[in-house]
Amino acid sequence: MKNENREKLIEILTDICPDVDFENEDALIDDGLIESLDIVAIVTEIMAEFDVEINVDDLLPENFNSVDAILELIDSKKD
Amino acid sequence: MNFISVSFIVFLAVTVGAYYLLPKKYAWCALLAASCVFYLWGGGYKTVLYLVFTAALTFFAGILLERLNDKKSEIPKSEKALHDGITKRKKAVVAVVCAVLFAMLYVLKYLDFTVNIFVSLISAFGKTVEPSVPNLLVPLGVSFYIFQSVGYVVDCYRGKYKAQHNFLKYALFVSFFPQIIQGPISRYDQLGTQLTSPAQLNTDNLRDGIQRMMWGYFKKMVIADRAAVAVTAFFRHYDDYGGAVTAFSVLMYCINLYCDFSGGIDITIGAAKLFGITMEENFKRPIFAQSLSEYWRRWHITLGGWMRDYVFYPLSLSKPFGKLGKWSRSKIGGKFGKILPTTLATFIIYLIIGIWHGANFRYIAYGFYNGLIITSSVLLAGVYSGAKKKLHINSDSRGWKIFSMLRTALVVYVGRYTTRSPRLIVAFQLIIKTLNPLSLHIHELWDGTVIGMGLSLSDYIVIGVSTLFLLAVEFYEEKRGETVLSVVNKKHGAVQFAVLLASLLVILFFGIMRGSYISSEFIYKQY
Repeated sequence: MKNENREKLIEILTDICPDVDFENEDALIDDGLIESLDIVAIVTEIMAEFDVEINVDDLLPENFNSVDAILELIDSKKD
Repeated sequence: MNFISVSFIVFLAVTVGAYYLLPKKYAWCALLAASCVFYLWGGGYKTVLYLVFTAALTFFAGILLERLNDKKSEIPKSEKALHDGITKRKKAVVAVVCAVLFAMLYVLKYLDFTVNIFVSLISAFGKTVEPSVPNLLVPLGVSFYIFQSVGYVVDCYRGKYKAQHNFLKYALFVSFFPQIIQGPISRYDQLGTQLTSPAQLNTDNLRDGIQRMMWGYFKKMVIADRAAVAVTAFFRHYDDYGGAVTAFSVLMYCINLYCDFSGGIDITIGAAKLFGITMEENFKRPIFAQSLSEYWRRWHITLGGWMRDYVFYPLSLSKPFGKLGKWSRSKIGGKFGKILPTTLATFIIYLIIGIWHGANFRYIAYGFYNGLIITSSVLLAGVYSGAKKKLHINSDSRGWKIFSMLRTALVVYVGRYTTRSPRLIVAFQLIIKTLNPLSLHIHELWDGTVIGMGLSLSDYIVIGVSTLFLLAVEFYEEKRGETVLSVVNKKHGAVQFAVLLASLLVILFFGIMRGSYISSEFIYKQY
């Protein structure tokens, strides 16, 4: 299930930012690889695909710096 | 008190002296006292009440939100109804603060404008009205301190940090004198704690602060104030000139605006550094932006960041936008359906940024212009990418990057016609005049017309050479990722002193002893 979610997430992310290497990057926000427009697009897509509620308070750099961080955020919202 | 005055330099020197002479723990009191004097001197006692009111309202709101956050954390998550009740109360606090402060900003800056629109509309139907709009003084830096205080309240709502419980310390954060005129718009967790930390005298900070201020004075006094003379002369009689001089004057205005605003920010950041305080950068060499959205991430960075965190994110993730997203996905589908809400939110942000600059159709049009270009480039990203592939264009090639930079500079340049023209219709007339070969009158560039705009040939040479120097410095910093000043500071002390002396002489000869015209106020002071 975890692998499935990971693959699904990477598919979403690559669709929005095709030039970013999501498998290996761990400072997506800190290094400016994804910007505010992308973040909102990613969050909207995640909410629709994973059926979770992400609000503006969750939009912290540490929640979006890597695929693992985003997966953690999604998991925390499923609890 | 103008940054470009002897009185400011003396005032700053006295404040630095007092700051380091006071017991370390109470050094911040010198900054607060200086901020009060600076504000009363520059803004007058009549408008200081707005500042005190804003500080008091947001101070108490911060404490209230912190209490509600604490209360919420004590309640188990299973008690959903109680949690929701507290969230509602928190939202109400933020809503009241925002409503009161933005209503105040509206009355001070925009009431006159909207009343005039209504009067025009009514008179179009053949009726005349004479409204009595109070002639209110716009307080110094009002939109800057309101935005900064609202940011603090929203951060307290989000539990980003603990509220400040000492009103005087908080008042210093709202009124810190180097930034009150034109920002940057600071965050409490970045600036607030630095302001009240015990003072530590450090000669590197004093050196860095003086160097940064000198760089700012160079931009403002040698370039911006000179270019402003030609710009003012042109827009006073814009009908008298052809398209070529119009294009030249708008270019002068672009140079004037960048050097004025970024120079002012350099002075602000340098002055704060004298107290060991590191402020947020507000510019990142916007001339090297390869797209309009990147330009706005490099120009007035703190306003863009504020808009992103406190307007764009909440708006994009709000319930109405969520509903719009669901609707557009199911009814429109495809990429357009997915990004429609984000694009709409982006458009709204640029419209707000435009209106923030002033109560005028010119600024609304400017926001509309930026919003339209950025949102259409988002919507058409797939088309552009496909076209680039077909034409075998490598986005990473130097040629494409230079082309993208020039294209962005041109887009920004055209937009500047609207912000400087006295009326929107005039901006359109001037653009048409520039584009029409019959009204170009290119000979005016060398037949003495340009020289007749208040500047001598040597003034234009000074502007040209200084701007090229500025571009060379920015090019180096962009390429190497380090500032020229940091490179200078790695050299021997004698080299550092020589650079400082040379800067002082340049400012003295080309900035202060330059002729009959006087230093103008900072352009962003009016915002």
